[in-house]
Amino acid sequence: MRDVAVIGLGMHPWGKFADKSVNDLCRVAVEAALKDAGVSWREIEAVSAASSRFSGGKGWGLNGNDVVEEMGSTGIPVYNLSAGCAAGGNAFNIGYTLVASGLYDLVLVVGGEKMPKGFIQTSGLEETTDPEFLRQRCVGMPGPAFWASLCWRRMKDYGTTEEQLAKVAVKAHQVGKHNENARFRQEFTLEQVLKSNVVSYPLRLYEICPVSDGAAAVILCSAEQAKKRTSKPVWVAASAVATASFDDGITRGLGGLGPSGPTLHSEAKLAVEKALKGAGVGQKDVDLVELQDNTVYYELAFPEEWGFCKPGEAEHLMETGETMPTGKLPINPSGGFLCFGEATTAQGLFQVCEMGWQLRGEAGARQVPNARVGLAQTLGLGGNATAVVLKR
Amino acid sequence: METKPVIAGLFADTPQGPRLLGSRCASCAAPYFPKSAVCHNPKCGESKIQDAAFGPRGRLWSLAIQSYAPPPPVKFDEPFKPYAMGVVDLDDGLRVLGRISTDDLRSLRPDMPVELVLEPLYHEADGTEVITWKFRPV
Repeated sequence: MRDVAVIGLGMHPWGKFADKSVNDLCRVAVEAALKDAGVSWREIEAVSAASSRFSGGKGWGLNGNDVVEEMGSTGIPVYNLSAGCAAGGNAFNIGYTLVASGLYDLVLVVGGEKMPKGFIQTSGLEETTDPEFLRQRCVGMPGPAFWASLCWRRMKDYGTTEEQLAKVAVKAHQVGKHNENARFRQEFTLEQVLKSNVVSYPLRLYEICPVSDGAAAVILCSAEQAKKRTSKPVWVAASAVATASFDDGITRGLGGLGPSGPTLHSEAKLAVEKALKGAGVGQKDVDLVELQDNTVYYELAFPEEWGFCKPGEAEHLMETGETMPTGKLPINPSGGFLCFGEATTAQGLFQVCEMGWQLRGEAGARQVPNARVGLAQTLGLGGNATAVVLKR
Repeated sequence: METKPVIAGLFADTPQGPRLLGSRCASCAAPYFPKSAVCHNPKCGESKIQDAAFGPRGRLWSLAIQSYAPPPPVKFDEPFKPYAMGVVDLDDGLRVLGRISTDDLRSLRPDMPVELVLEPLYHEADGTEVITWKFRPV
């Protein structure tokens, strides 16, 4: 396999944009990435696009085809990748593979989406073979309640307090306020978070990420192209995709295996382990982590599940400032999903953009000092997960 | 009053009491709820699926309280009242989701012993009572 560089990063800010189409959002992100890379649209040889069921894609998830039409119909191959909220990471993996394999030298990876209102919902069909439908109709458990149940168990196991959960949200906004692409750029006090509406006890509104509109794009290329076009390439040390394992402890439908170990979200753990191994780096070598914080719970649980700290240690690291950009384990220097909100197909790519800017030293007030290696992770419906390690 | 199950075939009131209706692989013992036609365990030597009934005793692994009126496809009787749901580890090896049957939400704790009950979930416009499985602290 060939070395692959990330030479172009582009984003449309996250928010709610009633007067813009998803194509409008993608065009801004793609044009920014092309400009950053010094590449013209006509030079792009293939597109790997995260596919959405919520917006664009001609109603069939053909999101990449929309982007190619929008930018100019050059006849290039398009790969539309569907993996729920992990779709952006999945598209990155295929874009990476297309360049690493030697098939193409210049590839665009793109994700953009306009999300419907409210928390992410089922397909709307009363389909009794759909585990999500069954869970909501028979038990009354929407997504936030699922996260709340994990959170409550953590409180039982490690004594995590409601104040500590709220502090994770406070920390996210202390960092995210510096990110011009983030949707929520205000700081919250601990009291404001604790006074926000309880959505599903123990989780409050400001501790859960909302849905957003947004788009992000990256240009990948071969080492030869990177040499020609940039003096500051960022390299893909590893890109990994995984699905959930059978012995996972989380009940994804109505029921399943009893507890066979502490493995929760095995797909994320497998993807991260695979990426670290592929990159030949250990947890201590990673200078920043961008992880999927749909809720504050994940910022505490994931670093432990992945071996970045001991079980039950995450609260202490957060409270002592070690997960801030200047700490020893910077987590979500972008502000994370709590500040961006979910635009499901685009989020795996906003993480790559953030890592790219961090490794190039261009992250301004949220810069992780001397960042050399970054890890990003996404998680999607259906037991999908991706992880990518970038290095300077 | 007319009653009906929220989804047909998921539970039954048997002579021994309420049970969840699923299946189990006779080869590797993996439990499935709802029923599965095949065994999904990659380490299973041979998929041998048989009908199985689960319950009634178990422990609450974790819980959550639904504090706002959820959107469809969740259904509830108006006016909305917060309710609890949880992840239950049944003694027979099934980890399963379910409503918690209690009027005292503050009393709930992980690791509490619970038992399976069949109770109303909501009422349809014509008054039909829709039944689901729940877990009651014991």
